[in-house]
Amino acid sequence: MAQLDPTALDLPLAAPKRSIRVGRIRVPGWLALLLRNSKSRTGLLIVACVVLVAIIAPLISVAHPNDFNLLAARQAPSWHHLFGTTDQGSDVFSQVVVGARRSLLLGALAGALATLVAAVLGITAAYVGGIVDEVVNLLTNVFLTIPAIPLLVVASGYLRARGMWTMIAVIALVLWAFEARILRAQALTLKNRDFILAAKASGEPTWRIVFGELMPNMISRIAAAFVLVFYISLLVDSGLEFLGLGDMSATSWGVTIYWAQVNSTVLQGEWWPFMFPSLALGLTVLGLVLVLAGIDEVSNPRLRTEHKRGRIVALLFGKATA
Amino acid sequence: MRWFARRLGFYVFAIWVALTLNFLLPRLMPGSPISGLLQHLSPAQLAANPGIIQTYEALLGGGHHSIWQDYVTYLHRISHFNFGLSTSNYPTPVSEVVGRTLPYSIFLVGVAFILSFAIGTGVGMVAAWRRGRFTDSVVVPAFMTVSAFPAFVLALLGLYFLGLKAGWFPIQHAYDNNVIPAWSWTFVWSAFRHAQLPMLVIIAAYAGGWVLNMRTVMINTIGEDYVGMAHAKGLRDRRVMTRYAGPNAILPPLNGFAAQFAGAVGGLVFVEIIFSYPGVGYTLQSAVLGNDYPLAQAILVVLSVCVIVANLIMDVLNFVLDPRLRTS
Amino acid sequence: MSAVATKTLLEVRGLEVEYGRVRAVDGIDLSIDTGEILGLAGESGCGKSTVANAIMQILRPPARIAGGNIVFQGEDLVGKSTEELRRFRWRNVSMVFQSAMNALNPVMRVGDQFVDMMQAHERVSKHRAIVRAGELLELVGMDKGRVRAYPHELSGGMRQRVIIAMALALSPELIILDEPTTALDVVVQREILQEVESLKRDFGFAVLFITHDLSLLLEFADRIAIMYAGEIVETARASTLAAEPLHPYAQGLLQSFPPLTGPRVKLTGISGSPPDPREQPSGCRFHPRCPHCVPGNAALYLRQTSERPRLREVAPDHWVACHLVEA
Repeated sequence: MAQLDPTALDLPLAAPKRSIRVGRIRVPGWLALLLRNSKSRTGLLIVACVVLVAIIAPLISVAHPNDFNLLAARQAPSWHHLFGTTDQGSDVFSQVVVGARRSLLLGALAGALATLVAAVLGITAAYVGGIVDEVVNLLTNVFLTIPAIPLLVVASGYLRARGMWTMIAVIALVLWAFEARILRAQALTLKNRDFILAAKASGEPTWRIVFGELMPNMISRIAAAFVLVFYISLLVDSGLEFLGLGDMSATSWGVTIYWAQVNSTVLQGEWWPFMFPSLALGLTVLGLVLVLAGIDEVSNPRLRTEHKRGRIVALLFGKATA
Repeated sequence: MRWFARRLGFYVFAIWVALTLNFLLPRLMPGSPISGLLQHLSPAQLAANPGIIQTYEALLGGGHHSIWQDYVTYLHRISHFNFGLSTSNYPTPVSEVVGRTLPYSIFLVGVAFILSFAIGTGVGMVAAWRRGRFTDSVVVPAFMTVSAFPAFVLALLGLYFLGLKAGWFPIQHAYDNNVIPAWSWTFVWSAFRHAQLPMLVIIAAYAGGWVLNMRTVMINTIGEDYVGMAHAKGLRDRRVMTRYAGPNAILPPLNGFAAQFAGAVGGLVFVEIIFSYPGVGYTLQSAVLGNDYPLAQAILVVLSVCVIVANLIMDVLNFVLDPRLRTS
Repeated sequence: MSAVATKTLLEVRGLEVEYGRVRAVDGIDLSIDTGEILGLAGESGCGKSTVANAIMQILRPPARIAGGNIVFQGEDLVGKSTEELRRFRWRNVSMVFQSAMNALNPVMRVGDQFVDMMQAHERVSKHRAIVRAGELLELVGMDKGRVRAYPHELSGGMRQRVIIAMALALSPELIILDEPTTALDVVVQREILQEVESLKRDFGFAVLFITHDLSLLLEFADRIAIMYAGEIVETARASTLAAEPLHPYAQGLLQSFPPLTGPRVKLTGISGSPPDPREQPSGCRFHPRCPHCVPGNAALYLRQTSERPRLREVAPDHWVACHLVEA
C-alpha cells in the first residue's frame, strides 16, 4: 500500500478564494488550481468516473449482484457477462459496480471520521502546546509505530458483528494518526502568524481560535489530508474483507476478491473474479494518489516542470515571485 | 546521546502501549471472547486441562479478579515471554508457534523492504538529478502506477501472471515439499526460490512510495546552497550527487522509515496468505479466524517489536550518517 | 605584484540571462582589472547574483545564458565544453556564497570539503590536502584543528571564514563575494571584509563584491557598478560615485543611508519598489520611480518613457545610462 510521504503534503495557504470562469462554468479557485495540473486533473477524472459508476450502479448492473445460477458458473468474460461469472454463477460486473458503492462509502466515511479526530487533536495540540502537544505527539508516533494492519486484524477478530459502522469506527481509530501528524505540523507553522496572534491578544478563547481561525485557514490542507486517509482506508477496508474480517454478507470489492481467493479461482486459472474488482480498487487508488501528487506539485513550486511554471506561480503567489 | 536516549524511551513506551492495547481490546469489546473460544476446545481437552479456563480468563478478562490484578498478572507473564497455549495448535505453547514462523517472515519482509528502499531511493535520486529525462518521465510514473495497487492485488496478479501463467516462480509455501528444513544447500536454494515472487510483490508495492518521496526531497536538496557550491568548486557531477546532494537527501526518507515499515508489515500479512507462506502473517489470519486469541495477541506484540527493532536500526544508521545528531 | 598590473582580467559583454521566458539580466557590460575590487550594488532581485552565477558558470536550468560573452583572460567562456568549464571553476574564479550558513555540506567534515575541491583540480594526496586546508584556515585566523569540525559546530562568522579559506585555496585570479556578510552582525562583517582586503594585498586576486549595501562598497571597492532591473545604470570609481553620483537611482541609494561622519542630513531613499522582471517598464526602466521624470517637460518625458537610455562615458571612467545626463 504505497503511501506518499505525508509530510510532503502542503497546500498553499493563499489558494485563490475567488472563483474562476472556465468557459461558461464558474469553478471555485481550488478546483481550478487542481484542474490546471495535469496529474490532479487525471486523478480527478478517474475518481469522478468511479463515483459516477457507483451512483448509477443499479441502472447498469445486469442482475442482483448476489443472484446465483450454478448453470452459468465460472464463465469467462463475454458479451453476456462482461466480467464473467463467479463459481456460484453470480455476475462479476454487477458485483464490481454495486460493490463500488459500499467500498467508496466506507472508505470516505472512515476517512472523514479519521480526519475529524486528527484535525481536532492535531490542531488543538499544536495551538495549545505544552503537555497536551507532547501527549498527542507521543500518541501519534505510537500509532504510527504499531503496525496498523495486524492491529486491525486482531481488533476485528474480537468483534462479534462487523457491520459497516463498526468497521468505519475501527478503521478511523487506527488511521487518524497518519493525518494528525501532518495537520499538527502544519498548524505549528500557522500558530505564530499575525492573525492568530491578534486573535489571541484580543482575548479570544482557545476553542474559538482553533475552530474559528486555525481550522478555516487550514481547510485546503485538511482536505488534502482527507484524500490521503480516504485511499488508505479504502485499501485497509478491502484488505480486511479480503482476509475475511469485514462484513462478509455485503457486496464490495474486497468481499468479491475474498471469495475468489477462498475458492482458489486464481489457481484454477479463472482470473476474472479477482482481476476486475482489483483493477477497480487499483484505479480508484491511483486516481486519489494522482490528486495528491497534483496537490503536492501545486503547492511546492520546485517540483513543477518548467513549462507550467509561469502560469501556476502567477496564480498562486500573485506577482511577488520572480 | 540525549537524542538516542529519548528514542529508546519512546520505543519502550510504544511497546508498553502495544501490550496494553492487547490487554484492553478483548475487554473493551461487547460480549465475552471466552465463550467463543471455549466452543473451539473439545470436551476432552477441557477435561485434560482443568486450569485452562482460568488461564484464558487471565488472558482475555471475564474472570473473578479485578482488571488491575489481571493487568499485573498479564504484564508479568509477558515479561517472561509466556504467551500461553495456542488453542488452534493445542497444547503447543504460543511462543513455539511464533518461533517457528517468525524467521520466515523476517527473512521475507526484511530483505524485500530493504531492497525496495534501495531501489526506490536510487530511482528517485536519479529522477530528480536528471529532471525530465527517461528515468523521470517513464520509470517514475511506472513505479507510481504499480504501487497504487494494494499489496494483495499485486500478489494475486503476480501469482496469476508470473507464477501460474509464465511459470517462472513457485507459487506456494516457503520451500519444496520434498525438502527438509535444515542448513543444507538444497533447502537454502529451495527457500530462496520460493521467496522470490513474494519479495518481488513487496518490492513492487513499496518502492513507488520511496521513489516519490526521494524525488521530492532530492529536488529540494539540489536547490540548497551547498550543492551549488559543490558545483562551483569544480567537482564532477557524479561526485556532487554522491557526496553532497545524496547523503543529505537520504536523511528525511530514513526518518520516514517508521511509518513505512509498519505499513509493509501489514502488506506482509496479505502476501503470506496469498502465497501460503508459513510466516506470522499467515498464522495471524488463521489464528484470528479460528478464535486463537493467545496466538493472535502474541503475533501483534511480536510484529510491533519487529517494527521497533527496525526503527532502532534506522536510528543507529541516522546517527552514523548525520553528524548533527551526534554532537547536539 | 599588483602594482603595475592594469590589464583587463574579466570582461562581460552584453550578457543576457533568462529564466524560462523571464529575462533577469538584460545586456550588461562589466570589466574587472587584475587585482581590482569591483563593487556591484543594487536592490535584491535586480539580477546581481545571477551575474555572479553566470560568471561562475553555475547557472542551473531553467536559467541559461541567452546572449553575450564572458571573456576571462582573453578566452570566451560561453561555448566552452563542460569539462573545460569544470576545470575553470574555482581554479580561476572562486566564490564566497550569500549564505555561509548553508554553503557547507552539513554531513561532511570541513577538511574533507577542502580535499574534495583540491582533488577535483590537482593530483594531491588526501593527507597533503588536509595539511594545506589547515594552513588555509590559519590564514583566515582559525585554528587548523578545525579541519575535523562539522559545519554545525562552527559559528556563522567561522563558516564564512572557512569559505573564504576555500576560495583562496587554488589561488584564483578572481574571487566573487556574493553578499558575503548579510547573515552576519556588523562587527563580524567588518572583520571579515578587512581580512579579505589584507589577503588581497598578499595574494593579488581581483574581487567582484556583490551587495545591496552601498556604504560597504564605498569603503572597500575601487570601482562601483550600480545595477537596476537587470541593467547597469552607472559605473564609476568609488570616490567619484561618492562625490557626484549622476543617475537618480545611484543618488537615491546614496541618500538611503546615513554618513558615518559629517553633518546630519535628511535621509530620503527611493520611493516605490523594483519592477516585476516579467513586465519591465518601457523606456528607462527606472522612470516610474524617478523623481526627475515628470510630464512637465514633454520632450524629455517622452524619451524617458519610450527610449532605453544607453551607457555613455560622461567623464573618464565614469559611465551613466540616463536621459538627464547628456555627454
